[in-house]
Amino acid sequence: MATGGSEMPDHRKRNTFTSYVAPLPGDLRANADTNEWFVPSDLRNVHWAKPRLLSNEQVVAEAPAYMYSPIAPMESGDKQPDHKEATFGLLSVTNFKLAFVPLQPRSTLGLPAPSPLSDLYQENLYLGRNEVTLNNIDQIYTIAELGRTASALHAVRVAGSKRKKLEPTKQQSIQGRIAALHIICKNFRLLKFAFQQQDSKMSGSSDNGKRIASALVRFAYPTRHDLSFAYVYREPYYSTLGKPGGGVSMYASKNDWARELIRCGATEWQVVSASSVPLLQNKLHAGKYTLPPHFVIPKSCTVERFLDLSRAFCDSRAAFWVYSYGSSAASLVRLAELQPATQQDTKMENVTLELVRKCDEHKKIKVLQLTENLPSIQDVQRAYQKLRRLCTPETPEKFMLQDDKYLALLDKTNWLLYVSYCLKYANTAASTLRSGTTCVLQESNGRDLCCVISSLTQLLLDPHFRTIDGFQSLVQKEWVALEHPFQRRLAHVYGTPGGSDQLLDSEQSPVFLLFLDCVWQLLQQFPDEFEFSQTYLTSLWDACFMPIFDTFQFDTHAQRARAVSESKLVLRPVWDWGEQFSDKDKMFFSNPLYQRQRGDASQIQQQRRSLAVGHKLSTSGPASGVGSLSMSMNRYTINPQLFATQSTVPQDRFLVAADRIFDLAVWDQCYYRWLPVLDIRGGGQPQVDLFHRMLLSNIAKVQRCLDLQSFEELPDAYYEALGEQRPISKQLQHQDEEPEPELEYVDGVERRRKSLPSTAAAMATASTTNGLVSVTPQLSTLSSFFPFGSPIAGDAPHQLYDILSSSTELLLETSSIMDKSSIV
Amino acid sequence: MDASSSPADKMASKTASSNSLDSSSKSSSLGSKHGGENGMMRDTPFIYLDGEEDQDQKNDVTYVCPYRGPVFGALTITNYRLYFRSLPLREQEPPLIVDVPLGVIARVEKIGGATSRGENSYGIDIFCKDMRNLRFAHKQQNHSRRTVFEKLQANAFPLSYSGRLFAFAHAAAGGGSATASSSAGAGWDGWAVYEPLAELRRLGVPNDMWRATKLNESYSVCDSYPAVWAVPKAASDDFLRRVVQFRSRGRLPVLSWMHPKSQATITRSSQPLVGLSGKRNADDELYLNYIMEANAQSDKLTIMDARPSANAVANKAKGGGYESEGAYKNVEINFLDIHNIHVMRESLRKVKEACYPTTDDSKWQTTIDSTLWLKHIRCILAGAVRIVDKVETMSTSVVVHCSDGWDRTAQLTALSMLLLDPHYRTVRGFEVLIEKEWLSFGHKFQQRIGHGDNKHSDADRSPVFLQFIDSVWQVSQQYVNAFEFNEHFLITIVDHLYSCRFGTFLCNTEAERVAEDLKHRTISLWTHINSSLDQYLNPLFPSFTHGAELVLRPIASVRAVRLWKGLYCRWNPGLCMPQHGCQRTRELLSKQDQLFKHTNELRQKSNNRSNNMQTTTRLASPMH
Repeated sequence: MATGGSEMPDHRKRNTFTSYVAPLPGDLRANADTNEWFVPSDLRNVHWAKPRLLSNEQVVAEAPAYMYSPIAPMESGDKQPDHKEATFGLLSVTNFKLAFVPLQPRSTLGLPAPSPLSDLYQENLYLGRNEVTLNNIDQIYTIAELGRTASALHAVRVAGSKRKKLEPTKQQSIQGRIAALHIICKNFRLLKFAFQQQDSKMSGSSDNGKRIASALVRFAYPTRHDLSFAYVYREPYYSTLGKPGGGVSMYASKNDWARELIRCGATEWQVVSASSVPLLQNKLHAGKYTLPPHFVIPKSCTVERFLDLSRAFCDSRAAFWVYSYGSSAASLVRLAELQPATQQDTKMENVTLELVRKCDEHKKIKVLQLTENLPSIQDVQRAYQKLRRLCTPETPEKFMLQDDKYLALLDKTNWLLYVSYCLKYANTAASTLRSGTTCVLQESNGRDLCCVISSLTQLLLDPHFRTIDGFQSLVQKEWVALEHPFQRRLAHVYGTPGGSDQLLDSEQSPVFLLFLDCVWQLLQQFPDEFEFSQTYLTSLWDACFMPIFDTFQFDTHAQRARAVSESKLVLRPVWDWGEQFSDKDKMFFSNPLYQRQRGDASQIQQQRRSLAVGHKLSTSGPASGVGSLSMSMNRYTINPQLFATQSTVPQDRFLVAADRIFDLAVWDQCYYRWLPVLDIRGGGQPQVDLFHRMLLSNIAKVQRCLDLQSFEELPDAYYEALGEQRPISKQLQHQDEEPEPELEYVDGVERRRKSLPSTAAAMATASTTNGLVSVTPQLSTLSSFFPFGSPIAGDAPHQLYDILSSSTELLLETSSIMDKSSIV
Repeated sequence: MDASSSPADKMASKTASSNSLDSSSKSSSLGSKHGGENGMMRDTPFIYLDGEEDQDQKNDVTYVCPYRGPVFGALTITNYRLYFRSLPLREQEPPLIVDVPLGVIARVEKIGGATSRGENSYGIDIFCKDMRNLRFAHKQQNHSRRTVFEKLQANAFPLSYSGRLFAFAHAAAGGGSATASSSAGAGWDGWAVYEPLAELRRLGVPNDMWRATKLNESYSVCDSYPAVWAVPKAASDDFLRRVVQFRSRGRLPVLSWMHPKSQATITRSSQPLVGLSGKRNADDELYLNYIMEANAQSDKLTIMDARPSANAVANKAKGGGYESEGAYKNVEINFLDIHNIHVMRESLRKVKEACYPTTDDSKWQTTIDSTLWLKHIRCILAGAVRIVDKVETMSTSVVVHCSDGWDRTAQLTALSMLLLDPHYRTVRGFEVLIEKEWLSFGHKFQQRIGHGDNKHSDADRSPVFLQFIDSVWQVSQQYVNAFEFNEHFLITIVDHLYSCRFGTFLCNTEAERVAEDLKHRTISLWTHINSSLDQYLNPLFPSFTHGAELVLRPIASVRAVRLWKGLYCRWNPGLCMPQHGCQRTRELLSKQDQLFKHTNELRQKSNNRSNNMQTTTRLASPMH
């Protein structure tokens, strides 16, 4: 057959998108072989699977639905609504979360749990894999039903053109039938659900989509903070933070500030507690000030005079000390701009700056104007929205369209430009301090970009803040204690209808994410300088949307205190990670490349000891958060001159950030992790981290063997390196009879969440004491977004547990094994 | 590690290195200390290679550095390199050094005439193949420019001036012989790295379905193909001679790789000579059927045409085309949408524009986007992953071709083999891969690079091989521990792709190489690399052998593909990021080994002791 030259091969063009993406054995996708439950002919099954509820959590709406993977490549051209790419289950809206529980086919119930490897991926104790908190929900789009013949599948596919955004604050009536919902989360997740069509013969399916949508609009956009689930969830909190040696400075007491003054050798400054200033306790006057409970001001200035000055500035933010560096203790100071009304008269500003100047040893200050030179919060919000659009394509076609000009689109978001600006300013501030000059960061309200630049500057200068405790203290100091308006910036509360919602809308801005992104860039540039991992940073961003942790829930301390006193809110610091995650998940917060410097730990402990001078330290115990808040200080100020005046911050360990866009990258773990098509199976950073953990684990084990002079428990790698057979011990026969871990049926899926830590430990000990058969350790193939992303089936994780537990032991150890200088 | 690794020092060392263009810094391999050990040390600051001779020297030349401004110094030209060393004004200041192999030079031009005024406006502009340009200013009055220009022309473009490439002089003077003999032995002779029959044996050929044939031993059947082919057993030599007729330039489908388990194969060829009239050829159709039948796992054969479908159609007008699914039974054809050599050349030119001499940071991403380079790389990766999917997941055999089957086809087969077969991700295996898929199958290196000739605007030049190396780098960035070699290894290959110091990348085909007797008259790049292997090894590689997935499936999305700054931006000292990462790995590895060693000694000691104990007790027992 002669085909002829005119034959166009276009019809043969295959969908290039699906072709290079390996089929994923993801846990969301329905298994094609068991399609008996694709078609939910028997609705009784649907109600068999229920979301797990917290105490006082209530379901407000539920409906059967199909869940789609964010950009599930869908077969084009078939007209039948078969939902093969989707998972069927029950979608519920509660007063805490949006939950999807896949419906398990009955036939598989008796079978063993899915791949145990999935246990290694991050699991939040409050949220399942297919659940998001209502706080996390940013935008809801409805896709209208197209008529009788169109399928829900079709509706999902054509979503781009027909989707309609539900406005948060308008109590709109939702018109027409809803075929599908797209939910865009603040943490870059896109959730897609489709509903059974009305023409199906099922009963009760009539208005599933509308029911869910209206519940979401009602509950996901609260108009008052006390409608948040945090106020309903009354479980008591028992802190595990107060362990000796561990320690996040909460900056909730005068002592914390004083300790920081001493650590920095800042002698010209004094701590003021609002609770001990009569003026601020006076109901008549207190309203004029919006001051945090504790702040540090020049010693040469009386509190009364300072308060007087502060009234000229926005949010009463006149010259707060936050940090000092170097032998001359050059200070980092945060300052707001003058109130618009007083801006003509710069006298107050000059006086304030003069007070700061007097504190500097060389009487030199440099003022960095952040408002003029850095993006506004609205700019940041716009950049974030554009960036998020690039990370949440709804269809393969959209993904490819974006991909074709991806870098140009990325450029247009300005996100990396703003990251670059922030790093640039932090570099400038840091070098100003290094040169012995006091640096003043000035911004309109002193509570947004000031937080970013100030904390970045300290990260660059001070290795203490690059430890996990140090970093948490830094966030506590710069963001929480000095009152970054988290509630407004993260849109935990939406304006009331008819109210000034326009204004409130413009207050939403992920300034904190901008900061975390900058920190991530530093982590890329200095991979061995940070104790925490990118997983820690990503989890921190996720934690912003957990309402039951108060850290990122409030604008001011006054708000927080009111919530505690009036609504009996239980305070839970987010830093108590054990509340949310198992030990296994917390292990991934540490960076295996981190090189602890000799003396880092002991130095801090020494300071702690030196501070035990006649002051009540906040005691650890149940509800220390509340305790410290209500703790009153008897003394007016603490005078740092009573203590050593020399800064104990090492001066040879500062970093200089590479701050050009050229040097920056996209934070793939945080932004791309919900896109399975970008998951490099078995590749990426997790494999490298794992290798380093394995090395650390081997070193720790051999070290222990050497210490004990007993060579029974040498790591496999040892025998491998020597080409020797591991001596097989007698217990080996029992290896296979590992007791099955307790199964727990949650969300209709078998889980072993609760029993996990103990199982992990048991497995770890089993593998070390019994001596495994496999001479070559088979490491598991991880997702490149690990511990996010979806698990890959088929590998045994016990070795991984073992590696993790022994390497973490080593990372956390205060002994000198891992000191920088001990390994040559 | 001591205090020298403190961050402050890191910065200090960064600025220090950024002040010089010293090519012996880690970003370039050309001035590396290795390989030149037996060169003679003369009264010059660099070590002469064997066979390297001075051609010209001028002491009053100004190098117009795009970063530091004009610097005054001495320029030396040998038959291998151009070497400039500044005369530092201050004592402590490190001299600025420019060390460029003449092979890298694409074009030399005079700037300024007798009438030109202004400082440094009279001199020579040099355009390089490795993404940089150099400008030297001469003083008009002392006529130093003329000889420099002439010597540069003659030695950079010997083929245009009836000279010989440096590789021959280098080998004739005994270059590399010392290093070759001093290293691990004959096994590391670069010319012996690839033995076609041995490699086929590794793949399992001959077997029931495939055989090796020396039909082309004298290169008379296909002059751009290697001497040894692996073909389906069912096809006799006579039959092959007939199939050759229907393929462009006689490049019929020949085996590149075979899956060890499923025996699904990758074969490569040129386009069929279908033409506008849609000619058919029963032999060709039967031959493809043989290839399909050689794989028992699948009753389909996939043809991957690397070109955009429009180009494939357009080729019919020139007598070429593609296999129609109607004519070929059980065949499905896919077009991979990779553009031709001219598009790629233009794209790389834009990359150079964006990276050298300076970058515009505020428009960086947009500028890189507009070069389309990353999109092209994505296409190649996507094509390779599709081939991998067919072969690995579907167990279907794949035939890859483009028009001639020596550019895009080589990229695709080599890359997909690299993804499928971990052997090719070792140093030795990668050398074999290049020897096999690129050199023996006739990628026209001479034409594409233009070794030693001055036709800088030759339309046959194109960075096809560079693009392959870039793709390999992309995969190595996504699978950091999957490769035995590191980035420096890849940069070294790129450097010597142009340098003309080694014979490896000379000539267009195996036939030409045999005729030139390169094996005996030049040294192989692999000899050079294998004799100092340590610096090319990736310390993370050992972790890969520990059971990670053996088949790689890189993400072919611009979101995952990056510009290779370490290669394209390396001449801009301000853009060189400090190299980190592997330092800590090496420390931990050596700590582990040290502990293992110590433990082993202790165990041996205690074993000896307990053995002694046992013997004494045994001896003692009868006493009881």
